[in-house]
Amino acid sequence: MKVATASLPEALRPMELLQGPVTPGSLDDQVLQFPAQRPPRAWYVALAVTLTALGIGVACMGWTLYWGIGTWGNNRPVAWGFGIINFVFWVGIGHAGTLISAILFILRARWRNAIARFAEAMTIFAVICAAIFPVLHTGRPWFAYWLFPYPNERALWVNFRSPLIWDVFAVSTYFSVSLIYWYLGLVPDFASLRDRTAEGWRKRIYTVLSLGWRGAASHWVHYDKAYLLLAGLATGLVISVHSVVSFDFAVSLVPGWHMTIFPPYFVAGAIFAGFAMVVMVLTVVRKTMNLANLITDNHLDVMNKLILAMSCIMGYAYVMEGGTAWYSANPYIQHTFMNYVSGFYGWAGITTITCNIIIPQIFWFRRMRRSIPAMIFVALAVTLGMWMERFVIIVISLHQDYLPSAWHKYIPTKIDFGILLGSFGLFFTLVLLFARVLPVIATSEMKTSLPSRSEGQS
Amino acid sequence: MSSATFAVLGLYTDAHKIVDAANQIRPRKLGRLEAYTPYPVHGLDRAIGLAPSGLGRLVMLMGVIGAGLALLFEGWVSAVDYPLVTGGKALFSWQAFVPVMFEVTVLFATFTAGLAMLFAFNKLPFFGHPVLHSRAIKGITRDKLALSIEATSEAFDAEAARRALLDNGAESVEIVPVPAWDRPLSLVGLLRTIAAIVAACAVAGGGLFAAEKLMPIVPPMIHMHEQPKLNAFQESAFFADGRGMRPAVAGTVARGHLPPAFATPEEAGTLLSNPLPLTQPIAERGHKVFGDHCAICHGLVGDGVPLLSRAYGGKPGNFLSNEIRARPDGHYFGVLMLGKNAMPSYAADLDQDDRWAVVHYIRILQRAQNAKDEDLR
Amino acid sequence: MSATSPRSSLVRNLLVGLTLIGAAGTAGAYFSASRERFWVNWLLWTLFLLTLGLGNLFLVALERLVGAHWSVPMRRVPERIASLIPLAIVLLLVAFFGVPVIFPWTHPAAAHNPILVAKAAWLNLPFFAIRLAVCAVVWMLFYRFYVRGSLRQDESKDPAFTVRARRLAPAFMVVFFFSVTILAFDWISGLEPEWYSDMFGVYLFAGTFISGIAAMLLGVLSLMRRGRLPEVQTKHVYNLGSLGLAFTVFFAYIGFAQYMLIWYANLPDEVIWFKHRIEGAWQPVALLLPLLHFFIPFFLLIGSVGKKHPAPLRLAALSILLGHFVDLYWLIFPVLGPRPLFGWPELAMACFFLGLGSLQIRRAMGRGADMPVGDPLLAQGLEWQV
Repeated sequence: MKVATASLPEALRPMELLQGPVTPGSLDDQVLQFPAQRPPRAWYVALAVTLTALGIGVACMGWTLYWGIGTWGNNRPVAWGFGIINFVFWVGIGHAGTLISAILFILRARWRNAIARFAEAMTIFAVICAAIFPVLHTGRPWFAYWLFPYPNERALWVNFRSPLIWDVFAVSTYFSVSLIYWYLGLVPDFASLRDRTAEGWRKRIYTVLSLGWRGAASHWVHYDKAYLLLAGLATGLVISVHSVVSFDFAVSLVPGWHMTIFPPYFVAGAIFAGFAMVVMVLTVVRKTMNLANLITDNHLDVMNKLILAMSCIMGYAYVMEGGTAWYSANPYIQHTFMNYVSGFYGWAGITTITCNIIIPQIFWFRRMRRSIPAMIFVALAVTLGMWMERFVIIVISLHQDYLPSAWHKYIPTKIDFGILLGSFGLFFTLVLLFARVLPVIATSEMKTSLPSRSEGQS
Repeated sequence: MSSATFAVLGLYTDAHKIVDAANQIRPRKLGRLEAYTPYPVHGLDRAIGLAPSGLGRLVMLMGVIGAGLALLFEGWVSAVDYPLVTGGKALFSWQAFVPVMFEVTVLFATFTAGLAMLFAFNKLPFFGHPVLHSRAIKGITRDKLALSIEATSEAFDAEAARRALLDNGAESVEIVPVPAWDRPLSLVGLLRTIAAIVAACAVAGGGLFAAEKLMPIVPPMIHMHEQPKLNAFQESAFFADGRGMRPAVAGTVARGHLPPAFATPEEAGTLLSNPLPLTQPIAERGHKVFGDHCAICHGLVGDGVPLLSRAYGGKPGNFLSNEIRARPDGHYFGVLMLGKNAMPSYAADLDQDDRWAVVHYIRILQRAQNAKDEDLR
Repeated sequence: MSATSPRSSLVRNLLVGLTLIGAAGTAGAYFSASRERFWVNWLLWTLFLLTLGLGNLFLVALERLVGAHWSVPMRRVPERIASLIPLAIVLLLVAFFGVPVIFPWTHPAAAHNPILVAKAAWLNLPFFAIRLAVCAVVWMLFYRFYVRGSLRQDESKDPAFTVRARRLAPAFMVVFFFSVTILAFDWISGLEPEWYSDMFGVYLFAGTFISGIAAMLLGVLSLMRRGRLPEVQTKHVYNLGSLGLAFTVFFAYIGFAQYMLIWYANLPDEVIWFKHRIEGAWQPVALLLPLLHFFIPFFLLIGSVGKKHPAPLRLAALSILLGHFVDLYWLIFPVLGPRPLFGWPELAMACFFLGLGSLQIRRAMGRGADMPVGDPLLAQGLEWQV
């Protein structure tokens, strides 16, 4: 049925998605062995490091809870500091996961099968990290439930015209949908785990989590439809959630914030940062868990191409922002944009442009896209650059806006840094736990694209 | 003892073979066809005669319902129940309602897709299915594709089904019996589940109740009540006399409260004249001030008949008398500022404009109560 | 069906007649209607044809960029529709003569407007002309490369062209995005030069892309109905319909985001542009736009049924194309005044440009095979499975 592709020039041949022979059975053995065995020592060492970071973060969060937001660097006029920078950063990181698992599914890109599960997990962990910040930055997070519209004795409703409420709905929808999507994908894998495991408490947990899945074709029909619909809906979410986050800024009057290109610019930036994180984590995972035959160099190559494409889109956005700032003939906007690259925080703007636009350009070269050190370097640069971009947008625009008498610098405190460190600690702790306990590759999805036995390897 | 047969499973490894087998076996109507596979096999659903899923239509419907409900709710909240003009926007600001509407649409649609698929369409979770307890299940979730001919009646011919599967390329066949232990829901199990749910609710509710009661009195929740700032009448260790509230600096006078430059109302009458023009707003202001401060003693028309009870023994001045009418504006101002007999000084109650406005009003009252015919034309 | 059948000759003659009548009417409009009205109509149609052409060229390059197979069998259609590009460039060069008429920043009063003086480094005729020339040149170069190269490949069957086409695609993307942005800022938002919105380039891109898909859909369906694409199946067209659904939503998202942000902040220098377009006599047009460009195609294409049959696909595509035209009309015509104008000059020039555009596409239909038979990926494209 498949046309001979060997006659095509190499550049046009379909991408090899597997290295070496892989059958459904060997796939299960390779991927599903990890939940059943003890992890290597390196895992414990890594966990110790991440738990330390998490511990520092929790301590700082506790300090903040007790003493209030005064322990942060937020003050007039920079009322939004690290809290919102970190929120936007982490929500953005989550978007790559949904793009890989949902958008690439809709586009029938087979290469996503090997990485979708990990990417979805990273989405959920990133959203958890993100959600901490808006809750914490309210100052009285024990009243965070006030953000939801419920009938109450105070006869109060939330202000639906505020983008902060749109955020509440968007991020909570995003989290629940990602969770459902991730869990549904896991159900057949839980069934595999259930049937591989000997009797015991583990088997009972897998039995419950698999919901009694038996792979019935009459079930697959509905399951496939649900999965496709969820993928389509999650695609809409990816675009809308980060657009809503961008609305937090773009609906305001702050110079540099009220730019209409913010929604697609933020979405592109989110995908950009998220892919860098995915690449960073997967390069480590495929090495330490011996999955390089499934998460191949070709997978990394394609992801790096996407990083390059996103970098170019970010470049377009930066040019448009700066160009329109000049074109607007609005002195406030122009002053802000000059401030982005010169002035007290000018180093942040230069770092952003260098890390986001200039460094990823090395991915035009195939050798760089396939070199692990190069891609880790670029991924780190992009992660830093995208965090710095949010810093630039939030801090620089706020610290000098319309009224010079209100200008003031923003100095983050140790608590701010501690919580940022803690969020990374939380994220990587969850990633490590996930790799230990759950199947990191969606084996049931992978099996659909494996060659069937009668054809051998293609 | 295995009683009836539930199904006969034929195991395959190759996707094409199982689809071919299904196509061959289906017309023979040996039983209800089903397949059990570790991944969805292309074409197998059609081969065993499955209709396409109706989930899409349900999801679309729920999405539209979500959109409508969200828009109505937002509109009702913002324009009907708690209408508040924010940012100068219209009450039903649909532009601002779109983002939440979109998110709720997606929420309704995805929950429907996920939960309806599991609970309604696939009737999961269900742990009692016979195939889950077959030998083949280990292979089914790993790499084997199973074609199942399931018994639909007493007349099910397991041997014919077995032969049909083997003839059509099955690598092995397993006969799955109806489980002997097919027990219905036990009363004890049901009671235990209900007890667990009730206990969980009790714990959650009790915890929330305790938290609600505890929250206002435990730091850091009370930090907003107990703030380091100084409140009225609060003591302060910062000042030597321990008072938080400080008196005015000695030798200073608040604006508008300079002591008057006259000692008696007669002197005020010679020194001062009404600086305010007689305009409608000022007349109305005087009217209000008179009603608030003066009428209670001097009467609503200034005739000295107080609104107080008859027990009041004082005799307020009658503004309509010739004697008082003859006095100049400055005299009225002086009485107001210094007080007279039982009347206290109203200097602290009224600001400068109020004082002169009420003087205008008294003049208006005097004229009104002594109107001539020409005035009415 | 050969190009010289009696029916096709009839169609050709009708189109030529339409064009000639239109030409006469256009000339009449030049001399009798106001010059502003003439040039605004010229600009509207030029942009319509140009964006249709560019949108289809973008589809061709996009396929190369992502290495898609499913669209290869249908790719000759957008390559042919892209032939509107050379025609539209000529029309755009003619439109340059109308620039001093309709663009306020060219008028003497602009020298006294401090905002326009501040923008004079960008908004001046020499630089404008240079940008126009550069865009025209790059569009022509890429058009020739992708379309001529594909036609030549029919004969040569050389896979090296496909490799080169794929390698050049990223460069095309960069050039395309910036040139469409320049088109949007120079020719559309420049009509109200005090206004600015950095989303505007993306907005025009979104409209260009979706109308390119719509035109491609119509072309493919029309060829399939005439039996000229016997190997293209429902699954291919279904996928194209899905792409159309996705980018219908994308256009609505971009359009709504731009509108909502400007509505929300309510800044006078931004809101005025929308006030001109959604209040008073323009309101019906502003309501028609989302109906044609979003609601109709969305509800037609959202179910899987709508994407499997030619009738809903055709209706959705027509709605999108009409919506794109209304969009350009709504963007440009308010410069003429608070009432939307539609009279005989508009009708006459519509005949002229529709005739020209149709004749140009008809000419392109005769070039090359109906499928890119020389493309090494064609076989994979035909047997592509979901």
